[in-house]
Amino acid sequence: MENLISLFVNSVFVGNILLAYFLGMCSYLAVSKNLKTSSGLGVAVIFVMSITTPVNWMVYHYLLAPGALAWAGLPDVDLGYLKLVLFIAVIAGLVQAVEMIIDRYSQALYNSLGVFLPLITVNCAILGASLFMVERQYSFTESVVYGVGSGAGWALAIIAMSTIMQKLRYADVPEGLEGFGIRMIVTGLMAMAFMLFSGITL
Amino acid sequence: MQKLIKNLFDAQRKHFRKGGKLERLYAFFESMETVFFAPARVTQLVPHIRDHLDVKRYMASVVFMLLPLLLFGMYNVGYQAYAAKQLNPGHFWIFWFGFKTVLPLVIVSYVVGFAWEILFSAIRGHEISEGLFVTAMLFPLTLPPTTPLWQAALGISFGVVIGKEVFGGTGRNFLNPALTGRAFLYFAYPSQMSGDAVWTALVNFKAGAVDVVSAATPLVVAAEAKVHGAVEQVLADAGYTFNTLFFGLYPASIGASSAFLCLIAAIVLMILGIASYRIILGDILGILVMGFIVNLTAGESSAAYLSLNPFYHLIIGGAAFGIVFMSTDPVSAPDLHISRWIYGFLVGVLTVVIRVFNPAYPEGIMLAILFMNVFAPLLDHMVISIRLRNRIPNV
Repeated sequence: MENLISLFVNSVFVGNILLAYFLGMCSYLAVSKNLKTSSGLGVAVIFVMSITTPVNWMVYHYLLAPGALAWAGLPDVDLGYLKLVLFIAVIAGLVQAVEMIIDRYSQALYNSLGVFLPLITVNCAILGASLFMVERQYSFTESVVYGVGSGAGWALAIIAMSTIMQKLRYADVPEGLEGFGIRMIVTGLMAMAFMLFSGITL
Repeated sequence: MQKLIKNLFDAQRKHFRKGGKLERLYAFFESMETVFFAPARVTQLVPHIRDHLDVKRYMASVVFMLLPLLLFGMYNVGYQAYAAKQLNPGHFWIFWFGFKTVLPLVIVSYVVGFAWEILFSAIRGHEISEGLFVTAMLFPLTLPPTTPLWQAALGISFGVVIGKEVFGGTGRNFLNPALTGRAFLYFAYPSQMSGDAVWTALVNFKAGAVDVVSAATPLVVAAEAKVHGAVEQVLADAGYTFNTLFFGLYPASIGASSAFLCLIAAIVLMILGIASYRIILGDILGILVMGFIVNLTAGESSAAYLSLNPFYHLIIGGAAFGIVFMSTDPVSAPDLHISRWIYGFLVGVLTVVIRVFNPAYPEGIMLAILFMNVFAPLLDHMVISIRLRNRIPNV
């Protein structure tokens, strides 16, 4: 239990997937203008990441890992090289399925997530979380916690960013730095502040 | 005398007006003039507030409260330098050595900072902002006395340009510029900004003699203490008694060692209404509460540092300095009363957490403040939305 709590804190703050690994930057930079949309996207990322990471764990451990196909009578087969392709396919498929299910059963949630749900298919933070999960050899429960934690870390970063952008409404940014330029600078400064936690061993 | 100065400015004004040959430097002229005279401009629309406390006087009172810290820091630098050689040449020479060591850093900080500020104001046509007076004074006070001058120049450049000017100048940034520059230096040149050897400048008797004194700072002594429940005793054995730590005569950043002078500055600034008492009290509360909590969790098996008396966290290292001068920065701190309490409290909590649990950083206050600066707008937003939700609709 203690191990899981520290993994959660670790994935939200210490190894924040956005500000420590710089994954998922494209949608982060594009959508962080407005607090409402960015918190919508943040919730969607938490939601999808906490589903895809454990599902990809199962895909990897029952289909792809060396010796994973032993249950099918093929103990020597190693399909590990397929993991990148298959993970993307699983994420895309799951996002579609999740979208349809939400649309059917919870219209309110569907409306509030809006266009961001399909957009998440191309968010590299989601794929990154799955690949990290394989690389760090998490167990199934750990992969669930890691998925939720990474999603929460990403959401925290984008929400903080969008409130900062609101504060910077009055900023007088030099020409040429407006838009993406200033957002990259803000992200860099935020990452520097997040280094507060780097080095903590939980 | 006053007439003389006024005539001087009036005579030069025409060069800086529109169409004059130094038109681009008008901001510089204006900033020099307002050092002596209150600006003549009045606001166009209501509300009109008749008060001489403009931004420049506001900032100047902070700089004024920093001067005792600067002078004490100079004395302390000299004191540590001679103490390392076990000499005591008298107060004047002690101060003189510190003066020689620290003054170049302050001058570099002001000259480079102003150069960037004038450059930006000339090109972008904004006023020279008074915040720089404070930034350029705060920045050298947070440095170790052995910092090379070029690094000081680089740090203040980063702080002023990336921390402030790219957002359009004072009042528009979201991080404290002095801390941004300091943190940049910390990450860019860790070997000159941390460790045991950088906190004591040395008296050079023979030219070219390279000598390093490594004296563990109180933060390191406390972190490495082994005796459970007696960290205060370990500190005292290393020469850091409560009084030494409170008055600040120990190796540390130039101006950040004296909790006593910070306390006086805090009281004066709170009474004048310049520093928010909510943030300062919140900070102190956060440090004490978190200090007590780690006291409670301290068992025989955990690090001895956990059992340090919470009040020590307030007086060792740069905590007092950060609380009074950095976390109260009106630009980067939140704007609402409740969020200021929360902000201060979390800065205190994070400071203790980082000091005790993060072996990478002996001092936590710098990054704790920067981290909370990032979340200050979010705190404000949350407080506002809770308030809006609780408001009784007036229909």
